[in-house]
Amino acid sequence: MSDRRKNILKIIILGDSGVGKTSLIQRYVNKKYTQQYKATIGADFSTKELELEDINGGKATATLQIWDTAGQERFQSLGVAFYRGADCCVLVYDVTNEKSFQRLKTWRDDFLLNSNVSNPESFPFVILGNKMDVDDSKKQVTTKQANDLIIELSKTSNDGAGAATNGGVTVSADEGSLQSNKNIPLFFTSAKGDLNVEFAFQEVARKALQQNQYQLSTSMFDDDEDFSNAINIRLDGSNVDSCQC
Amino acid sequence: MDSLDGEEFDVIILGTGITECILSGILSSTQNKKILHIDRQDYYGGDTASINLKQLFEKYKKPTEGLDNGKFGRFRDWNVDLIPKLLMSNGELINILISTKVTEYLEFKQISGSYVYHKNGKIYKIPSTEYEAVTSSLLGLFEKNRVKNFLQWVSQYNFEDPKTHQGINWEKNTMEEVYYKFGLGNSSQDFIGHAMALYPTDDYVKLPCKECIERVILYSQSVAKFGPGKSPYLYPLYGLGELPQAFARLSALYGGIYMLNTPVSDIRFNDEGKFESLTIPQGTVKAPMIIADPSYFPEKVESTGKKYIRCICLLNHKVSSTDQKDSLQIILPQNQINRKNDIYIAVLGAEHFVTPKGWNLAIVSTILEDDKAADPLSEIAPALKLLGDIEEKFYEVKEILKPKSDGEGDNVFISKSYDAMSHFESMTEDVKDVYKRVMGEDLVIE
Repeated sequence: MSDRRKNILKIIILGDSGVGKTSLIQRYVNKKYTQQYKATIGADFSTKELELEDINGGKATATLQIWDTAGQERFQSLGVAFYRGADCCVLVYDVTNEKSFQRLKTWRDDFLLNSNVSNPESFPFVILGNKMDVDDSKKQVTTKQANDLIIELSKTSNDGAGAATNGGVTVSADEGSLQSNKNIPLFFTSAKGDLNVEFAFQEVARKALQQNQYQLSTSMFDDDEDFSNAINIRLDGSNVDSCQC
Repeated sequence: MDSLDGEEFDVIILGTGITECILSGILSSTQNKKILHIDRQDYYGGDTASINLKQLFEKYKKPTEGLDNGKFGRFRDWNVDLIPKLLMSNGELINILISTKVTEYLEFKQISGSYVYHKNGKIYKIPSTEYEAVTSSLLGLFEKNRVKNFLQWVSQYNFEDPKTHQGINWEKNTMEEVYYKFGLGNSSQDFIGHAMALYPTDDYVKLPCKECIERVILYSQSVAKFGPGKSPYLYPLYGLGELPQAFARLSALYGGIYMLNTPVSDIRFNDEGKFESLTIPQGTVKAPMIIADPSYFPEKVESTGKKYIRCICLLNHKVSSTDQKDSLQIILPQNQINRKNDIYIAVLGAEHFVTPKGWNLAIVSTILEDDKAADPLSEIAPALKLLGDIEEKFYEVKEILKPKSDGEGDNVFISKSYDAMSHFESMTEDVKDVYKRVMGEDLVIE
């Protein structure tokens, strides 16, 4: 239940500090990577337009709005406002940091608790195991562990409600990407090595669009005359459009 | 634990109410200040938070068993302001929101109606244009024309151009004289002064008319700004608690560090009595100054001598005589109810995502006049009567606090408590005041 504007898809990225959330966004949106780590500063949210296939098989242009945590995750201080109206949640861990992997479930639960989405059982998540470019000897999380977690997460949140959001995803196993049998796709990525990032976000976008269209179709105000007259204000004074919620 | 021990900041801010968060956002994004922002509670907003129904019941010590998915629906579908205020579409807070681009993180909708109470027991839509004046049932036949003339005069009033003044000197003439000139009766004066210019008492009538004229102009421009026919007010989706969070995000984007759920202890001052350091579980942190809400320094604040009463009412129906509107402001001018202070009612609902569908939230507030009264609710009785059946109500009486000093002596800069007013103009004044005390110069909003 959010005030949705059509085809503007809000994506939020969660995961421990330092797993590469900002780098992944930078790689995907700006095709850039910088070695230097700094806790996220000055990056608002990044937007990217792309063309997608909608539920009916038609083409749809969508704008992805990717929201970074602005470093507020460091001391568990992301407010509820951050989570509002998300269409897809990306959970990131660092393959060289087992703790960041262990925390994924907590991040997923935090998201469901704070976002107050109306369909927690089918809400789309995508998991990224980042920093795949590092030497194998430094990796602390095995593919099997990752798969097991996905099965566990799928059991606790996505049981039996995946039909609408699980249509026809096929991900090839090359470059280490992997599709679980359940509804939460897992991708092994490297923002530094430009590995699988574009591919993963395509899937994120597709799932977000499905969620957005699902929400529009079940909107609580569909048949309400009063509310359809509400005015939505962008505050620049020039853009007064009628509400589409 | 992620340690901050020994770290130095430019400013440490205590409390995440809207005043502190705006200051944090501005100091971080425009003044390049390195900020550590702490709140003892595990949610943003302090007194300006919007809380869910479970938090509300817990706060007022009512049982929460069976609350979720009971008659009130999902408790997270409620976002109840502890201090309801509305944003004037053309007001200063909107200017701050636009200039900081914090609008990116928020969505607003208009409040559908702005009403004023008449001593006959009814409420009327406030006529803000000449056309509305002529058609308003609030006004008698002759009064319609007089109000129309007044509004026409205000709309053409140009402080620079004496030809538009019709003999009224805005520096010398009082508002009382303006009312006399236009022959306006008591009830017209009440809605102009209290429901348009938003004065909480009648003190303004003896003052030069300039400020009141400016306020009426602000009201009219705000009504016109986003499509007339509704109200001059905006309100954010999901409640006012979104505002401090949006400014906190701005601050964080420029490097501000946020720590909720963090107790503060051992606040130390140096030999000159100036703030030096404080301790949190992550270590001892330093800064040359501190900004805080009054709750962090009870010994450094004093009462303004005023208390407000605020009553939160849950309704399962729309307020009557409002054309089934989902969101409203209703002002009960003091004279119409034989009081010295106005009563404000903010009504909000599912349209702004603060209640589940089918419910409304009405928040009544005023300055308490008899603080020895056995039942403080008796002071807001006419307002409660307007609301009809109330499913559940919660009220509190609270003292309005202000800092004892300007903070120059100890570098502890304290904000004021939020007042009973229904709008943000006094809060933005306080933001500017604290900013000036901290930075030694005026806050310029572009």
